Amino acid sequence: MSKELLQSRLITLIGPISIFAVLVLGGLLYASFGGSARDGLITQMLINAIIVLGIQIYVGNTGVLSFGHIGFGAIAGYAFAICAISPTRKNSQIPDAPFGLSEVDLTPFQSVLISILLTVIVAFIIGLGLARSGARSGSVAATVITLALLFVVHEVAKNWIDLTRGGKTGLSFSPLGNVTLQGRGWIYIALLLAMITARLFKETRLGRLAQAAREDDLAARAVGIDPAVQQMVSLLLSVTIVSIGSSLRVFELGSINPRLFFFKFTLLTLTMLIVGGRNSVTGAIVGVVIITAGSEFTRYLAGPSVDMAALDWILRSGLTDIFLGASMLGFMIFKPAGLLGDWELDNWLKKFIPKKETEEREQSRVGKDQIRDLQSLKVEGVVVDFGGFRALDKAEIRATTDEVVGLIGPNGAGKTTLLNVITGVVESNEGALTVNGKSIEGLQPHMIARAGLVRTFQNLRLFHLLSVRENIEVARLASPDAKTRLGTDTIEQLLHLTGLNDLSNRRARELDYGNARRLELARAAAANPLFLLLDEPTSGMSDHESEAMIHQVRSVASLIGAGVVVIDHDLNFITGICDRVYVLDQGRIISTGSPEEISRDEKVRVAYLGGS
Amino acid sequence: MLEVESLTTRYGSISALRDVGLSVGAGEVVCLIGPNGAGKTTLLSTISGLLNPVSGSIRLENEEITSWSPDRILRSGLALVPEHRRIFGDLTVDENLLVGGVTVASARRLELKEEVISLFPVLGEKLATEAGYLSGGEAQQLAIGRALMSEPKILLMDEPALGLAPVLAEVVFELIDQLRQNGQTLLVVEQNARRILEVADRGYVMRSGNIVISGDSDELISRDDLFETYIGKTDSNHD
Amino acid sequence: MTELIQQIVDGLGRGGIYALIALGIAVIFGVMHLVNFAHGELITVSAYSAYGLFQAGWDWWLIAPAVILIAGMTSVVIEFLAFRWVRGAPDFTMLMTSFGIHFVVQALFVMYVSANFRQFPRPDWIFNTVKIAGISFEVFDVAVIFFTLLTLIATFWILQKTMFGISLRAAAEDFDAARLMGVRSDRIIRGAFALSGLLAGVAAVFWLMRSGQAGPTAGLTPMLKGVLAALIGGLGSLGGAVLGGVTLGLVEVMLISRLPEGLVGLTDGIVFLLIAFLFVFRPQGFISVRRAERV
Repeated sequence: MSKELLQSRLITLIGPISIFAVLVLGGLLYASFGGSARDGLITQMLINAIIVLGIQIYVGNTGVLSFGHIGFGAIAGYAFAICAISPTRKNSQIPDAPFGLSEVDLTPFQSVLISILLTVIVAFIIGLGLARSGARSGSVAATVITLALLFVVHEVAKNWIDLTRGGKTGLSFSPLGNVTLQGRGWIYIALLLAMITARLFKETRLGRLAQAAREDDLAARAVGIDPAVQQMVSLLLSVTIVSIGSSLRVFELGSINPRLFFFKFTLLTLTMLIVGGRNSVTGAIVGVVIITAGSEFTRYLAGPSVDMAALDWILRSGLTDIFLGASMLGFMIFKPAGLLGDWELDNWLKKFIPKKETEEREQSRVGKDQIRDLQSLKVEGVVVDFGGFRALDKAEIRATTDEVVGLIGPNGAGKTTLLNVITGVVESNEGALTVNGKSIEGLQPHMIARAGLVRTFQNLRLFHLLSVRENIEVARLASPDAKTRLGTDTIEQLLHLTGLNDLSNRRARELDYGNARRLELARAAAANPLFLLLDEPTSGMSDHESEAMIHQVRSVASLIGAGVVVIDHDLNFITGICDRVYVLDQGRIISTGSPEEISRDEKVRVAYLGGS
Repeated sequence: MLEVESLTTRYGSISALRDVGLSVGAGEVVCLIGPNGAGKTTLLSTISGLLNPVSGSIRLENEEITSWSPDRILRSGLALVPEHRRIFGDLTVDENLLVGGVTVASARRLELKEEVISLFPVLGEKLATEAGYLSGGEAQQLAIGRALMSEPKILLMDEPALGLAPVLAEVVFELIDQLRQNGQTLLVVEQNARRILEVADRGYVMRSGNIVISGDSDELISRDDLFETYIGKTDSNHD
Repeated sequence: MTELIQQIVDGLGRGGIYALIALGIAVIFGVMHLVNFAHGELITVSAYSAYGLFQAGWDWWLIAPAVILIAGMTSVVIEFLAFRWVRGAPDFTMLMTSFGIHFVVQALFVMYVSANFRQFPRPDWIFNTVKIAGISFEVFDVAVIFFTLLTLIATFWILQKTMFGISLRAAAEDFDAARLMGVRSDRIIRGAFALSGLLAGVAAVFWLMRSGQAGPTAGLTPMLKGVLAALIGGLGSLGGAVLGGVTLGLVEVMLISRLPEGLVGLTDGIVFLLIAFLFVFRPQGFISVRRAERV
């Protein structure tokens, strides 16, 4: 890790540490003015915060809505309880426990480790299933799988009486469960650990790749990200934190039963996460505090100490549940990103830390002396049928890394389909695709990207919530090759070449159309392609902008030493940039040659204007 | 019949239409041509209510229909045959036609269906077929037939010949000609500029969100700068 | 053999109820691209209505149609109050919204009725058996199968033959294209919620006849089974939803009759696991609905 990176990570830590301090001091202060009830409340809040942070790591970074985390919590809680309860107590509660578990005698610390291990193994299996189901932000199948997990665990806990003592009584540590303060020190440590983990994960390579896939699954694959890997790591890390929190929760309460980790707790934790802002670690904590306070307040209002006859219709038991449900619903309808969106305290604090001007950057290894050997892309005899419609009919193009090749043709000619075939988004019925003689057929889009073909999208698919710079950085981090070949200075150069350096901290969704197009170009380039495949890079641009784009595309391509295949309809642009042009009409290549030759070809004129 | 004045639309962050104006008189066939990305589809989508304009006005028979919902615009007599046809593939041909006539009384709907079938005999033969199994040419006829089921005062077509083999495309142009003879008012977006200009009375040429040329078909067809608007000026690189 | 036939009938009886719930979920998914986790609340509302009407001295014969109507109306009201605001929102928001509704309705019942389950009498005939071709069946199963079939036939008649049904299917396939044809989005979505609610009402009647109780969480299990059935069948496919429901019912009955004594309580758990496995190998369900993503 470079010194600079280490320093920036340390600064990042200011955020979670100061929030931790405020939370703990505030809690202690509040508790010191009240009896043990307040004490218990604060302890519970801190534990809930750990669990919510755990959920945030997965839901926030991947965008997959999980109802299963409390199910993982139940597994962890039971594993912890069964390990940590003393054999004497176990023999009276679950004398018939399988695998001789009733004789196991472990310290709470050992039990937490076992509970993490077991839960992570289960999570790994579930994670494989999620990956197979093609989980991505908002995907239904993934949410239902996690929901099913919550139910399965609940059913097992209720019915495997030999192990869990069933649903009625549950397992308990001591008759009264009076262990409230024993775990405090551990709770502080675990909370601090959870905050630091959640916050740093957001900044790590894997975290960023996960966020990119959350913003746009297809675009992420197109720069070489395999979302399944990111999601799995997020899940395992997230479940580890949830396991710790759940074990503490059981320890703190002194007992466990199936209802403790079921729908109600799911509602509570998810509401906390959503109210604060699921993409923000700071937000998760803010949500925990607000919802805890709100729940307490509604509980107080609905309790016996408030007696207002006129409001009796609303001040009654159940008010707390309404508060939770309505908060979730209200935020989803009016402010789905939560209070903080993805705002982080440390990012805000960083503004006040003076920046050193002399920043050392990793030097790019791409220099004039490091130009790659000539490489080639061959597309031969590609046929694509959509139903009865033949979108491509033996289309072929060739390109080498030292040239810019254009692909033009009227609307519906099959240009984008050809690009989709090359990048693995659409399957072809016939044909051969090779990069440097190596076949890339049947590869997943992210493997094709890593094989050197990176595309842009006609209808703009940026990672909207990420900043301009982050969009480019993520692409550089996506594949191992890109990271080693292109240094961090490449990012600056790309920002400079595309004229985005003044906008580098803006969110991608705030960009106007032309800049968004240029960012697509820079992002694709940062993935270190052999060939940049550009789908209508100038569409929607003014004539002036598209003229400037000629130079921009060329200089970006030569910076990274890539060839270019570009689809466009503006012959002005095509003429200015291309060495060679293919004309596609009705799925067939009808003409090839230099731009001048093309513009004089009668077949091309007919293809565009019709007639004969 | 249809008057569009200084219409500006943004699509995402693109300014897709800039101050566009056009008009279509009753019984006229008007075509809209120009390169990809010029804003033709955006214009039709805005007129038919799928997109809301930022400014400008759209009037149908002197009634202001700007920013109305698509179904309300349809009810007031403007139908669109959308780009890529968008027929309902899981529904039968019969059901597709019925949905097209959802706004008319049920007795009239059946009469209209007969009229459409007499115009497109092939649809009559395939009434019970799921529309997803139709060939491209048949699907296009269904898309047009479906739009005619609402008895539109004006029919908008977005690239009706897109993706059709030349022979089938020719069928579409003949059909447009026939609709014209029936007195149907039409506004057609089309790639095949030469062929559509033979059928249309007037034309507008769009580029980069603007209308750059307009005029009678005969005049447009003979203009030399027409091809240039499609593919940009090529003179800068002449050798 | 006799036993197998009995099990199949039993499974069809269960499956029929799931199919009705799943069909309602599929109808809404079709027009709004929303998985309605609040669908179970219709059954909760039905349960409390049944309980209330019993208190008022009504009989099952009157309660059944009343419950169906109430479920239909509730569905429309929920759409009007909540789902209307998130039309076209990202999937995450819609999923979360439906869960929010689920919790709010549940809490309302805790607040204004009770957190405890309320019992009401089951019809006295449901445990009777009837002999058909020498094999005895539960009257209840036969009744459920009969009325489910009737409901499904009526539903598919509406979907195939009425203008509303055809428009609804058109909107499910391409909402914007349907609007271009003059289909009114408000009306079609409200209609879809009404239809879905009525179907849930029919399912609720049978569900309640068997359970005989009302509680704030009464709708949880039927909702989950319905969602799973709809997913098994392939979300958005109406026929798939029915198929999924029936399959789920049959698998459950087969499991219950074959599992060793101690494990019967784990039936649901095992079914969920099986379904999770199904998703791993066929994430799109039995019948995949084509939905092209434009690039």
